[in-house]
Amino acid sequence: MSEVVVDRLNKHYGPVQALHEVSLHVPDGEFLTLLGPSGCGKSTTLFAIAGLDSPSGGRITVGGRDFYNGATGLDLPPEKRNLGLVFQSYALWPHMNVRQNLAFPLRLRKVGKKEQEARIEEALALVEMGAFIDRYPHELSGGQQQRVALARTLVFRPSLLLLDEPLSNLDAKLRIKARSWLKQLQRQLGLTTLYVTHDQSEALALSDRIVVMEKGRVSQLGTPEEIYRRPANAFVADFVGASNFLPGEVVDRNAAAGTAKVKLAGGDILTALWPDISAPPADSLLTVRPEHIGLSAEPPLPGPDINILAGRILERAYLGARLLYTLDCGHGLVLMAETETRVEGDHAWLRFSVDDTLLVRA
Amino acid sequence: MSMAEPQSRFFRPDRALLIQAAAALATLALVLGPLVPVLWQSLLDRPLYEAAPLFSLDNYIRLFGNPRFHEALGNSVLLALLSTLIATVLGVSFALFLERTDMPGRGLLRNLTLWPMYVSQLVLAFAWFILYGPSGYITLAVERLAGVPLWDMYTILGMGLLAGTSQAPVVYLFCSSSARMADATLEDAARSVGAGPLRALWSVSLPLMRPSIIYAALLTFIGSLEMLAVPLVFGKPVGLEFFTTFLYMEGLGAITPDYGLIGAAATLLLVVISVLLVIQGLLLRQSKRFVTVRGKAQRPKLAPIGRVGWVVCALMCLYTALVLLLPLAGIVLRSVTSFLTPLMSPFDLLTLDHFEVLFGYEAYRRSIVNSVIIASFGGALATLFVALVALVAHRSDFRFRRALEFVALYPRAMPGIIAGIGMFWAMLLLPFAHVLQGTIWLLMLAFTMRGIPMAFGALSPTLHQIGRELDQGARSAGADWWTTVRLIIFPLMKPALFSAYVLLFLSFLKEYAAAVFLFAPGAEIIGTTMLTFWTNGSTGPVAALSVIQLAITALFVTLARRSLRTNKDV
Repeated sequence: MSEVVVDRLNKHYGPVQALHEVSLHVPDGEFLTLLGPSGCGKSTTLFAIAGLDSPSGGRITVGGRDFYNGATGLDLPPEKRNLGLVFQSYALWPHMNVRQNLAFPLRLRKVGKKEQEARIEEALALVEMGAFIDRYPHELSGGQQQRVALARTLVFRPSLLLLDEPLSNLDAKLRIKARSWLKQLQRQLGLTTLYVTHDQSEALALSDRIVVMEKGRVSQLGTPEEIYRRPANAFVADFVGASNFLPGEVVDRNAAAGTAKVKLAGGDILTALWPDISAPPADSLLTVRPEHIGLSAEPPLPGPDINILAGRILERAYLGARLLYTLDCGHGLVLMAETETRVEGDHAWLRFSVDDTLLVRA
Repeated sequence: MSMAEPQSRFFRPDRALLIQAAAALATLALVLGPLVPVLWQSLLDRPLYEAAPLFSLDNYIRLFGNPRFHEALGNSVLLALLSTLIATVLGVSFALFLERTDMPGRGLLRNLTLWPMYVSQLVLAFAWFILYGPSGYITLAVERLAGVPLWDMYTILGMGLLAGTSQAPVVYLFCSSSARMADATLEDAARSVGAGPLRALWSVSLPLMRPSIIYAALLTFIGSLEMLAVPLVFGKPVGLEFFTTFLYMEGLGAITPDYGLIGAAATLLLVVISVLLVIQGLLLRQSKRFVTVRGKAQRPKLAPIGRVGWVVCALMCLYTALVLLLPLAGIVLRSVTSFLTPLMSPFDLLTLDHFEVLFGYEAYRRSIVNSVIIASFGGALATLFVALVALVAHRSDFRFRRALEFVALYPRAMPGIIAGIGMFWAMLLLPFAHVLQGTIWLLMLAFTMRGIPMAFGALSPTLHQIGRELDQGARSAGADWWTTVRLIIFPLMKPALFSAYVLLFLSFLKEYAAAVFLFAPGAEIIGTTMLTFWTNGSTGPVAALSVIQLAITALFVTLARRSLRTNKDV
C-alpha cells in the first residue's frame, strides 16, 4: 500500500512562501499529475515528498508511515523513503555505465550479485533498453537516458514513483511516444505515481487526476475531464487549454438548472453554467473555449441552450485542420474561435452551447 | 511489493553529522591552533608558557616605540609597493600582448611566463644572488667592463625588482583570463572610429581589465608583505629590516626572544593582511558587474600589431632569460663548481663536492627525503582532507557550512612565518602536543593549514559544476550522505583532486617560511637546510640543494602533465 497523504504543507524561503497549505490525497496505484506554470510550487511539493527539500510545516504520509511531520519535527532523510525519483535532467551518474547505475541502489540494499543481475535485466527489459547495458550515459540519446533513468528507479521497486518533468528534454515527437509508453508502463506496474509537468496536454493525456497549482496553492484537483470541462477559476481555465473570458454582470440565476444569465458590457445577455452556486456573483467571468465556438455568415437559429454573438473578423490564422479566428464583438470584447468552417467576409455570427460555458471567479 | 530499505537505518544520519562535525572541528583546530597563541601572547606581559600572566597593551606600546620596527614597517610597505608596481606593469603587459595580440611565439612565452611560479622564491633569491648579487657573476663581469658596479641588489629597488618579477606570473594569470574573455567587438569598435591596434589595447582592453588588475595587485601586495626569502637574502646583510625579517630575527636571532613583541608584531601583520583581504573580497564582488561577456565566450579576435610584435617577442625572451633562465643556469653552474667568477673559466673549477656534502651527511640527506615525503604523502593527505572540507562546505546540509568555508579560507591571511611561530607556541601551550614536536607531522600540519585555501579554491569550481541532482538521485536511490559523497561525488571530482594535489605538492616542496620555527633535528626540510647553509655562508651546498629541489619539481610537473593528458576519461 502506498497511498500518499499531503496535509497542509507549507514552505518558506525567507519571506517568500513557496507553498501555502498544500493538501493532496493520492490513493494507491493512482497516476496524479501536479500541473502549473514554473514557480507554482509543483516541484517543491514533489521534492518535499522525496525528502530533498525540507518543508516549513504540515505533514506527509506515505503508505501510512509519516515521512514528514512539522508538528513533531520528524523529517525522514531521502534515503530512507524508498521512493523512485526521475529527474528532469535524468541525473545518470556519468562515471558509471548503465549496469552500474542500476546496480547502485541494489548494492545499497545488499541485494546479492545474482539477484542484482536478474533485477537489472528485468528493469531494462521493462524500458526496452536491455541492449544498452554496457553503455555509458554520454553514449546514449536523450530518450534512451530517460528510459535508463526510469529503469534505475524501478529496479529497486520503490513504493512510489516521482517524476519531475521527465519528458521535457525530449523533442516533440519523441515526447508523444514516450508519453503513451510511460502510461502503459505505469498501468502495468500499478505503481502510485506523482508526475510534475507544466505541459497541460501531457497532464491531460497521462493522469488519473490532475492537481493544478498556482503561486504555491492548489487551484483545483480533479480528473482531466473535470479540469478541462469545469475549471474552478479563470487561472485553471486559461492554463489548461486556452479560454475566452467574457466579463459581465449576473442578472439572473436559476439555481435548479445550475445556470445564470450574464449581461455583457455591450448589453447582450448570455446563459452560462454556474454549478458553484455559493460563489459570489461579483467579478465573475463567463468562459468558453475557442474550439467550442461555431461560426457562420448567417445568423444561427436561436434556442434555449444556445448563446449567440455578432462579431467583426479581425484575423484568420490557418492551423492546418482548422482556422483560428480573432473576432471583435464590440465594447472591447475580443474572442478567439477555432473551427473547421470557413467564413468569408468581414462579419460572422458566433454561437456556443450553454453546456460549453462556465461561470468562474476572476 | 516494495523492497527492504537500505540497511542500518538508525545509525546513518549520525554518521553523516559525525563526519561533517569532525571535518569542521579539524579545520577550526588547524586554523585557530597557530592563530590563538599569537593573539593571546600579544596581550600578555610575559612568555605565554609562564604562569600567572598579566594582561596589558604594553607589547603594542613597546612595538610602536621601537625605532627598528618603524624602519621595518616603512621598508616593508615601500618594498611591497615597489614590487606590486613592477609585478602589475609586467603581468598586465604580458596578458595584453600574449592574449590580445598576434605577436609571434605566444604559445612558448605563455608557458615560460608562468615558470617562475614553480620555483621557490628562496631558490630564485639565491639564484639572483649568485648572478646579480654584490659579488655575483654578471655583476662582476659588467663591473670589469664599466669600471664601476652598475647596480646594487642590497637595496629596496633591487629587492623590488626580484620580488616584482617573481610575482608577475600571478598578475598575468589573473589578468589573462579576463583578457581572453573580453569582447573583441569592443576593440573593433575602437578601431572603426580611428584607433590603431595598440591604441585600442590601451584605451579599451586595458580599462576593461581593471577589476582583475586591482585584484591581482592587491594579491601581489599581500604576497610582498609576507615574503621572507628576498629580504632575508638581500636585506639582512646590510641591516635592512622588514616586517618578516624583524619577526625572524626577534624569534630566532635573539638569545632570549621577546615573546610579547613578536606576538604584537605578528598580530599587527595579521590585521593588516586581513583588512587587505576584506577589501579584495569587496572588490571581487563588485567586479562581477564588469563582466562584458555572458554565456558562451566567442573566439576572441587578436589585434594585428605587425612588426611591433617581433620587438615585444624579443624583449620578452630577453626578459625571461635575464629574470629566470640565466639565474637558474647560474645556480646549476654554481652547484658543480667550487666557486663562480668571471675571472676564471667555470670548467677549471668543476667539482661534485657540494653534492657529496649533501649525500654524505645523514641530516642533509634526511632533509631531502623529508621534503619529498611531506610533499608527496603530506600533499595527498592534505588533498583528501581539503576535499572533505570542501564537500561539507558545498555539498551537505551541515548547519555551519558557511562558517566552515570562511574558516577554511582564512589562512590566506596568515604568512608562513606567523603560521610557524603560532604552531610553535601552540606546541608550548597544548598538552600532549610534544609528541608532534620535532617530527615531520608537525610540518605537514602547518603546511596543510597554509595550503587549505589554495586546494579549496581548486576544488570549489568543480564541485559547483557537478549537478546537484546527481547527489539527490543517489540519496533517493537509498544512499546516505557519506555513501553519496564516496561513490558519486568523489569519483566525479577526480580531475580536480589531481590538480589540487599538484598544487599542494609543489607548495609543500617549496615551503620554508612556516618551517623555520618548527624544524628540529630529524625533521629538517630542503628549505631549512638551505637557510642553515646560507647562514654559514656555504653557497655551494645551497646551490646544490636548489638544483635538487628544481629537479624534483621538474620531474613532478612533467609526470603530472603526462598523466593529466592520459587521464581524461572522466
